[in-house]
Amino acid sequence: MDLITDSIVVGLTEHAPLILAAMGFALIYRLTGLINVAYSETITLGAYLGMWINTTFDLDFYTILIPTGILAGVLSVATYFAVFRPAKRRNVGGLEMIIISFGLSIFLRHGLQFVFGYPVRFFNVPPPDTIFVLGVGVSSFRLLAVASVFILALGLFWFIQKTSYGLQTRALASDEDLAQVSGIRPLAVTVLIWFLAGVAGGLAGAFYGVGSAAAPLLGWRQFLFILLVVLVGGAKNIGGVIIAGAVTAITLAAMTLQFGQVLYAQLVLIVVFVIILKVRHTRAVAAGGV
Amino acid sequence: MNLAWLDAFLVYGLFFVVMIVGLALLLHLQLGLARIANFGAVGFWGLGMYAFGVLFIQVDWPFSEVWAFLISMAFGTLVAGVAGLAIGWVIADLDTDGVMVATLGFATCVWIVATTEQDLTGGALGLGGLGFPYDIGSVKANETLWLVILIAVVALILFYVSRVHKAPYGRMLISIGDNEHLARSLGKQSFRRKMWLFAGSSAAMGLLGAIFGVMERFLDTGNLGISITLAAIVALVVGGTTRVWGAVVGAAATIAVFEILIQSYIPFPQAWYGQAIPVLRQMAFGAALILVLMFRPHGILGQMRRDKLMRRTHGG
Repeated sequence: MDLITDSIVVGLTEHAPLILAAMGFALIYRLTGLINVAYSETITLGAYLGMWINTTFDLDFYTILIPTGILAGVLSVATYFAVFRPAKRRNVGGLEMIIISFGLSIFLRHGLQFVFGYPVRFFNVPPPDTIFVLGVGVSSFRLLAVASVFILALGLFWFIQKTSYGLQTRALASDEDLAQVSGIRPLAVTVLIWFLAGVAGGLAGAFYGVGSAAAPLLGWRQFLFILLVVLVGGAKNIGGVIIAGAVTAITLAAMTLQFGQVLYAQLVLIVVFVIILKVRHTRAVAAGGV
Repeated sequence: MNLAWLDAFLVYGLFFVVMIVGLALLLHLQLGLARIANFGAVGFWGLGMYAFGVLFIQVDWPFSEVWAFLISMAFGTLVAGVAGLAIGWVIADLDTDGVMVATLGFATCVWIVATTEQDLTGGALGLGGLGFPYDIGSVKANETLWLVILIAVVALILFYVSRVHKAPYGRMLISIGDNEHLARSLGKQSFRRKMWLFAGSSAAMGLLGAIFGVMERFLDTGNLGISITLAAIVALVVGGTTRVWGAVVGAAATIAVFEILIQSYIPFPQAWYGQAIPVLRQMAFGAALILVLMFRPHGILGQMRRDKLMRRTHGG
């Protein structure tokens, strides 16, 4: 029983940034169908920006989250205008688009080292308060990450299901040409989605960064799991992504607590998720869906 | 043999460039012709290196070192090939997203096993004890001969790839890459063809990994990062993903510039070589991928000759 409780509390609080980042990634994936490898650098950037604002302006961790999220969102939009929009206008193919995003990821990852320096950088924050949840001690930063997931999830649900921009987003994701004929302004919706995705990625990065350090590979180390969570959860449905993310988080924590080795837990999850993708695809083919 | 004229950096730089040419040629078969988005090439390369190294070092061989070396190298190649067959089965009918996840996931699994199984692999500390299966005098002479052997292996791969382009098998791979549904409706067994192509090219990647391990004389998990895959993709994309010589031209225009020209012949301040130049190299590679795919998507060499011929004949 202890293992289950511990796994749920530790998993959800420790891996809340993963769910947050997966939600942001899913937004772009749903809208454009693009596997944006450079999204991992939005996460890294969030960690670096948070650290920079924290150490330069001597602001506490809670205060830096707002400017960090906004700046990460703006930079996410900037990558759209600088790279992905021109590439789309040139009719670059789907596979080539992924390779372009891979190139952008590498460029940004190493460019950040020129801006912020080569050594890993640390936040300057006092030790967080410890709050006991179901008998398990959790830092206030981690609880804030969980709260951010809830707020963003509710906000996204409301945005996509209840607002006219959400309706436009769904229409654009289904059929861009038809959406344009219907009078939808694709640019405004697209910019909004890239911004929101950037905010989610940036906040995830800040939460990761304050728990460890701002380092060049921070986002890339999470990318495979973000991708797995989104593909297994189903990008059409943010709820599915949250559930897949939560299951991933709890399973990682349970296996780590049981075997004392997080890497084995990751290995098992990678294998299981790839098998799920394969089985799901095989069933879809058998059912005539592909 | 007097090799005083030969710079040790040049030998290692050339070795690295030729190895990337080999990897990019194999990636050309997968990604350039059959459009299999293998982002985990380093996994098969690393698996070959570790399977070879672990068997060679950890087993108390009852016969001569040369035989142990050759058997271990064959084992490394075989293990990478079997892994390629398994992953090939998984990805042969998946879309690009699924292929990317499975290949990236495989590379991550190889890194995890190499890191955690310390008794076998040495873990993050690495494992020494590898060496050349001969001794012809100095270290430089041994390394130069190993470079020549690598060049011979890569020349064989190049020859095979050029034969594939001229053979019906190559045309079938291109048709599967261009429109798999159409190829299947014409009776082509795309699943099986892709799976065996992936297995064969993965085995060759494993062989290249084993050869690299010998040159390094050390198994290091640091080599299992994204850099090797990146270098191979950059060489292929810059040279031209669909052209036989694309990998060679691309590697000469990118990898060789940093690994040979800048490392050995351009006198940058010494301090730059530690961090600034490796970081700049990766930035340049990333920028090259973006710029080439946006402004010259078929790379330096352009489209396949057959595509040009078809355009001239049929218009469009």
